[in-house]
Amino acid sequence: MTALQAWLDTPSVTIVAVGALVGVAATLLGTFLVLRRESMLSDAISHSVLLGIVGAYLLTGTLDTPLHVVGAALAGLATVVLTDLLVRSRRVKQDAAIGLVFPALFAAAVLLINVYARDVHLDADAVLLGEIAFAWLDVVRVGGLEVARSLLTLLVVAAVNLAFVVVAYKELKLATFDPALAVALGLRPGLIGLALLSLLSVTAVGAFDAVGAILFVAFVIVPPTAAYLLTDRLWRMLAYGSAIAVASSFLGYRVAVALDVSIGGSMASVTGGFLLLALALGPRHGLIARALRRRAPQPPTGARAAGAGTVPTAIREGADAGTPAPALTVPGSRR
Amino acid sequence: MTVVGGVHEPALALHVEDLTASYAHQAVLWDVDLNVPPGVLAAIVGPNGAGKSTLLRCIIGAVRPNAGHVYVHGRPYREQRRRVAYVPQRTSVDWDFPTTALDVVTMGLYGRLGWFRRPRRTEADEALEALAMVGMDAFASRQIAELSGGQQQRVFLARALVQDADLYLMDEPFAGVDATTERAIVDLLKDLRARGKTVVAVHHDLQTVATYFDWLALLNVRVIAQGPVAEVYTAENLRAAYGPRVVLLGATEGAAPVAASVATAGATDRGTEEARTPVA
Amino acid sequence: MDLHVLFGDFTVRSVALGAALVGTVAGALGSFAVLRRQSLLGDTLSHAALPGIALGFLVSGSRSLTPILAGALISGALAALLVLLLTRTTRIKDDAALGVSLSLFFAVGTVLLTYAQRQVGAAQAGLDAFLFGQAAAVLPADLTLIGGVGLAALLALALLWKEFKAVTFDADFARSLGLPVLALEALLTLLIAVAVVIGLQLVGVILMVALVVAPAAAARQWTRRLEGMVALAAAFGALAGVTGALVSASARGLATGPVIVLAASALVLASLLVAPERGLAWHAARSWARRRALGSHRVLVDLLRLGQDHRDPAYASEQGMLDTYFGGPTGHVLRRLRRRGLVERVEHMPEEGAHWVLTPAGRAQAREPQAPFGGRRDEDENR
Repeated sequence: MTALQAWLDTPSVTIVAVGALVGVAATLLGTFLVLRRESMLSDAISHSVLLGIVGAYLLTGTLDTPLHVVGAALAGLATVVLTDLLVRSRRVKQDAAIGLVFPALFAAAVLLINVYARDVHLDADAVLLGEIAFAWLDVVRVGGLEVARSLLTLLVVAAVNLAFVVVAYKELKLATFDPALAVALGLRPGLIGLALLSLLSVTAVGAFDAVGAILFVAFVIVPPTAAYLLTDRLWRMLAYGSAIAVASSFLGYRVAVALDVSIGGSMASVTGGFLLLALALGPRHGLIARALRRRAPQPPTGARAAGAGTVPTAIREGADAGTPAPALTVPGSRR
Repeated sequence: MTVVGGVHEPALALHVEDLTASYAHQAVLWDVDLNVPPGVLAAIVGPNGAGKSTLLRCIIGAVRPNAGHVYVHGRPYREQRRRVAYVPQRTSVDWDFPTTALDVVTMGLYGRLGWFRRPRRTEADEALEALAMVGMDAFASRQIAELSGGQQQRVFLARALVQDADLYLMDEPFAGVDATTERAIVDLLKDLRARGKTVVAVHHDLQTVATYFDWLALLNVRVIAQGPVAEVYTAENLRAAYGPRVVLLGATEGAAPVAASVATAGATDRGTEEARTPVA
Repeated sequence: MDLHVLFGDFTVRSVALGAALVGTVAGALGSFAVLRRQSLLGDTLSHAALPGIALGFLVSGSRSLTPILAGALISGALAALLVLLLTRTTRIKDDAALGVSLSLFFAVGTVLLTYAQRQVGAAQAGLDAFLFGQAAAVLPADLTLIGGVGLAALLALALLWKEFKAVTFDADFARSLGLPVLALEALLTLLIAVAVVIGLQLVGVILMVALVVAPAAAARQWTRRLEGMVALAAAFGALAGVTGALVSASARGLATGPVIVLAASALVLASLLVAPERGLAWHAARSWARRRALGSHRVLVDLLRLGQDHRDPAYASEQGMLDTYFGGPTGHVLRRLRRRGLVERVEHMPEEGAHWVLTPAGRAQAREPQAPFGGRRDEDENR
């Protein structure tokens, strides 16, 4: 037990663990955001949640209540709803709508802080950049152990996100891939989307303390994007993305300590390093693999052996006509 | 109207009445009545922007109509989800999604599974069978981005077949596929009909309507005509639906045209005066 | 806030002028970004400027604005290039490319920022100002630079106006005319980057996107023509800039960026509501007027006609259909007709809305020709 406590008391362990948990929690949700082409919504939400936090602070006078989680979720939802309303009015396009709503909400939050909460630990810089270096200072007692508060919070957040992804896996998959069919089958893709974004808002709050708003966005978007280039299976995309997030936390911390720079920024930058690696080395979509494919003749994708012979390269690649495939079999006469 | 014990028009595979939908204060569908008998291959045909896709989406509940009702085999759509399979336009989906052909077909069974239950061995087997029906079982573990247009359409069809539905709603199933796939899809549809199923497809190509389908509805915001193809596919109806600039080849007035080609240069897609919906 | 005192202060005047110029340039060039659906590129450009800012400071060793802005422009341009590369050479989609570029450049920027802070502690306040903007940190020399660069950008826009217009509205057509579309688009992106970069000191990296998007979005509600939109956007941008600068200068501790953004957002809101034709308030007023003007007789006649279309005198019309037909709610008129015994409300299908059927009296009335200029029926109409 003492060994565990000693381990938990080590600042570097807490810091890396917090970073890793932020990474995993963000990546699990971010994977679906990237696939739904809603990446920039994560940028928007991570800024707007500040308004929810400030609102909760103004109502309760403290920062430590679960109310600020509720406030954040509401602010995140408000962002989505307001953006959607603007788009539906047909006066503003989607991208402009996003660029209008979150800055307004964020600006309001910053001003409220300036005016009403100067002396509180809601320093705007901290909001943006986080203070993961101090994560280990604020501890709580849990079951006889002293654990960093943010570690505990993020553990819960990551667990909830994981549970969501596991339990609603097929709903998320279908809502992302083919929302029209999801509606037809009665699987409420709109609801799933809102749940996803609500959890993202809550995760953003949890991550604020650690890495700040914009670095959180890096964890939401970059590891999933790197994983997107590495695999063609959704569950592997989730797994690889999470692994990259954890590795980035570890490596990023080392780099930050070595160079004496922002830890959160360093961790986020390292995710970029992994993206670069994935870009170059991805087995199917990496640049090297594609260059090699262009050189060497490969069996045409989608052709059956049935005497197809070698098909000239120019036709093989990029041709949408497809190669002759067997005729449809009538049921009852199957092989 | 007779609604006895929640049942209405049970003899029809698809019964749509008074369906009206609008977008930005413009009627997209007006007073649409559609009565499709069971066991036919029905085509819905009309100019662009005539509301064909919207009609399908109203039926499956993706779009809330302003008025009207939809009944499938005698009951409201939402009670009959299990008996209806919907095939959206192939281009409505991002084929870069990291998944396999088999997985896409399995998604067709998600409705049967309901919330939160995971697909198991049974579902995988059924999905593979459906892929075999469209000749794509060798591609089961292929990533969908690697498939050609025709292959993707087959996968979409397999996803509908796996649901073993009674009514199939398809949005432009023949768009952008190669000739072989097209023939294969026609055979598949004919087989469905032979088994007593009903297909309602939005079709993009006037030329092939008469050969592929046996029931036709001409739609241009409102239904111009519906019924067996031979009765509906006339020069007069086509002009009413597409506008006066329809060019009909090899046809004399009153006789069914052999083929139709639509020259819409300059004509509005909304069709003629009669077809245009009165909007204040 | 005493405007006289404010305007009397030379510094405040200068800053207000600078803010006006920044807003003008952002509004004008932002119009193109918004029309080309590149609003969020403005977001990426501004966040990606951070490493350039830090590097500019580190390389020059001073907080002089020139190397800082140059650095910001270069890193912003590189970020835009990265977005292009990612979308063109991989299967990564637009939004993810923007997000990747934005967050990675910003991450590197924070690393450099903290590195710079370790180096020369005193300059820390200066660089921090770039996060949210600080009018107080703007020196007269800075204003000269901002002004000069901004005017140069506007000049370039004026000189290449026709070309930019062509490329924005129909790139293929422009290409067929022989215009170097790729080069023009690159130049336009560069000018947008310039517009973003000169505003960073006043508005800050986080919020600059609003000054690029909001004035243009507001202007769009008032006019359909590009010339008008750009001019109006420039004016709105200037207005938001000046308002923000003045308010922020008058109250201690108010960061300038947020105030400018709120001013710009207010302009958007107001435009969305009251602009003629597109304004939501206009629409509401027109719907209300239409509602009032909807004559009972007309509804009666159309109920009759719907019945004739369906060859059923007892046809029950769904209210939703009538609403669609008239482009607005008809319930109030139908209830009025019911009070006069001319229609009856019936339930039809379980999941549908109200249906209305003509009574024999209603049928008779519908067939009667309406007297010109109203006549005795009209006493009820204008209730």
